Amino acid sequence: MKRIRISVFDFILLLLLMTAIFRASLLAKTGMLFISCLTLLATDFNKAVAQFSFDMADYFCSLFLLIVIPTVLIFKRKRLNRHKNFSFSHYAAVVILFVFLFAPMITNNHYDFQKDISVTRLLPPFSWVNVLHLKPNGEVDGRLEKFLSYKKEVVKNSFDEEIIFVDSFYVAETGVSYFQSGLKNHLPLSSFEFSGGRPKTSSKLFLLGSDELGRDIFSRIIYGTRISISVGLCAVMLSLIIGVALGFLAGLSGGIVDLLLSRLNDMFLTFPVIFFIIFILAFFGNSFISVIVVLGFSGWMSLFRIVKGELVSLKNKDYFISAQQLGLSGTKLLLKEVLPVIATPVIVNTIFQFGNVVLSESALSFLGLGIGNEYPSWGAMINSGQAYLSQAWWMIFFPGMAIVLTLVTINDFGKKLARYFNPRLHQ
Amino acid sequence: MKNAFTGDFGVSYKYHRPVNEVIFEVLPFTIFFSLSAFSIQFLGGALLALWAFHHHRKLLDRILSRGSIILYAVPSFVSGLFFVYLFSVQLKLFPSSGIKSIGTLEENILFLSLDYLHHLFLPLLVLSLTGLPVYFKYFREQFEEHQQKLYAFYLRANGVSERRIYLSHLIPNSLNSIIAFAGVDLGILFSGALITEVVFSLPGMGRLTVNAILEHDYPLIIGCTLTAGILIILTNLLADLIRMKIDKRLVKGLIN
Repeated sequence: MKRIRISVFDFILLLLLMTAIFRASLLAKTGMLFISCLTLLATDFNKAVAQFSFDMADYFCSLFLLIVIPTVLIFKRKRLNRHKNFSFSHYAAVVILFVFLFAPMITNNHYDFQKDISVTRLLPPFSWVNVLHLKPNGEVDGRLEKFLSYKKEVVKNSFDEEIIFVDSFYVAETGVSYFQSGLKNHLPLSSFEFSGGRPKTSSKLFLLGSDELGRDIFSRIIYGTRISISVGLCAVMLSLIIGVALGFLAGLSGGIVDLLLSRLNDMFLTFPVIFFIIFILAFFGNSFISVIVVLGFSGWMSLFRIVKGELVSLKNKDYFISAQQLGLSGTKLLLKEVLPVIATPVIVNTIFQFGNVVLSESALSFLGLGIGNEYPSWGAMINSGQAYLSQAWWMIFFPGMAIVLTLVTINDFGKKLARYFNPRLHQ
Repeated sequence: MKNAFTGDFGVSYKYHRPVNEVIFEVLPFTIFFSLSAFSIQFLGGALLALWAFHHHRKLLDRILSRGSIILYAVPSFVSGLFFVYLFSVQLKLFPSSGIKSIGTLEENILFLSLDYLHHLFLPLLVLSLTGLPVYFKYFREQFEEHQQKLYAFYLRANGVSERRIYLSHLIPNSLNSIIAFAGVDLGILFSGALITEVVFSLPGMGRLTVNAILEHDYPLIIGCTLTAGILIILTNLLADLIRMKIDKRLVKGLIN
């Protein structure tokens, strides 16, 4: 296979450029929304604050990043490492990060969007559905209304009253008749939005099909990336802090503390962690935070061992003893003397730990103990697809592919990193 | 507390039967299931590694290494559902859940065991596939490491046959560290291959434990956890004993 000869930074630029082209109108609308939000903030502060939501902030962030990252990349072009010897895992990592950051820009659906389930239920991949557009009620005037109309266009909701998904329709003089899985309905012409003398129609693509509630699987996978990555990052952070702190404590103090912590570590290592996790989640309820905390607490063992092992050998080194004799405090010792030395194995281990956490999160979601139903998660999607295995393979296949691809990327990346830090590892 | 030490965990809230009885009902299946999956993993991993190593750095070796990396990243619920879709839904070769079909002649041992095998083929495949890449990687690395040691060169220089080098030198030397890992792994398998059991709805320890946890059946939780702990300790002990048998230096280290 011939290798792709683009440097990673050019690849990032290309991805961003493609987003900018394909989502140009959305970006423009987001910009307009931002401006109208600012003017509203200046004129009517309370209403603006009341209307502000995290989804909107999400869009603004994406827009901001989409402007800042290319400019930085273009201006710092000369300084960047422009080797072209990158492999598949680098590009895949870039794509995953890109999806993580720009999720609202990639899909034009809310992940929970559902409407007319009888039509959109269990659609196979690449299916188009006819859409009838109803006339929006309410006139646009005044700053607040303008702002709201922009907001409605930009920020996707989980509901939309102004469209109808139909199997087929025909336009008569009295109105429009449409069919929804065998049922015939009729609406007068006056309730439709017109374009060019005819009721406005369009068709919507369900790229990877839809699930049993008529939700678009593509956008759920895209938003599921966010859940997986953010749970992974937070849990890994937590276990990093716990592992390094406890390892430092055990390695430095020795004696009874070391003994106790090491036995605790052995206990965690031998007992299957998944039961511990399920136990905690079943007793304290499962939410976003509790999943992160539990996964973080159950992943500190390998880091603890690495840090402790390194510290035991470090303790007899001259520079460490002299630093201790100088009277540096524990925190300073850790930050200035220990961390730089142990950084390499810890970073490599953290990457693998990240992969483990992503896997555990999806396994937990698969068992129904994940972060709940508010957010889409790959594991939960597979779980719900289990019941429709004989009818809808796409409900399992695509989330499964997403998990496998992410895990392969993370593992490969970790391996590459280990090889980079320690070239002797391979030949 | 005293009762727990004598092996009496009380009565399960859900099953209204002594916990011991409930656990001993699923334990034979779990031990059979995990032992067979473990042996497939271990032997399969060793054989594949040997095969790959024999074709060192050739196409086959590379394919197997790449394949193991990808296979390692496939969670058991994804591969499990994939196989169910392929073999049960599309090809209708194997049943998708349970361990025996209704109406099998209980008296006929042959039919019964065939029926079990028929039901357990997919779960065993899935459970083995999760562990196979790990053992493959371990064996492969160990072979590589021992290949570069001086004694291997010496043997080869003396004209000892390849077969002999592998069988009586490379493999025994590599086994040592793998067995330590395998002990922990087998123990964890004994305490339940949770996700595989859930996908194929098998009556194993993993599902029993999780159901007990979810239904707040405290006596059963304690019983399951203790049983799992005992099994893990036992397998670790077994692994250590085997290692001592192979490597007499460990015994000396223990005595000193």
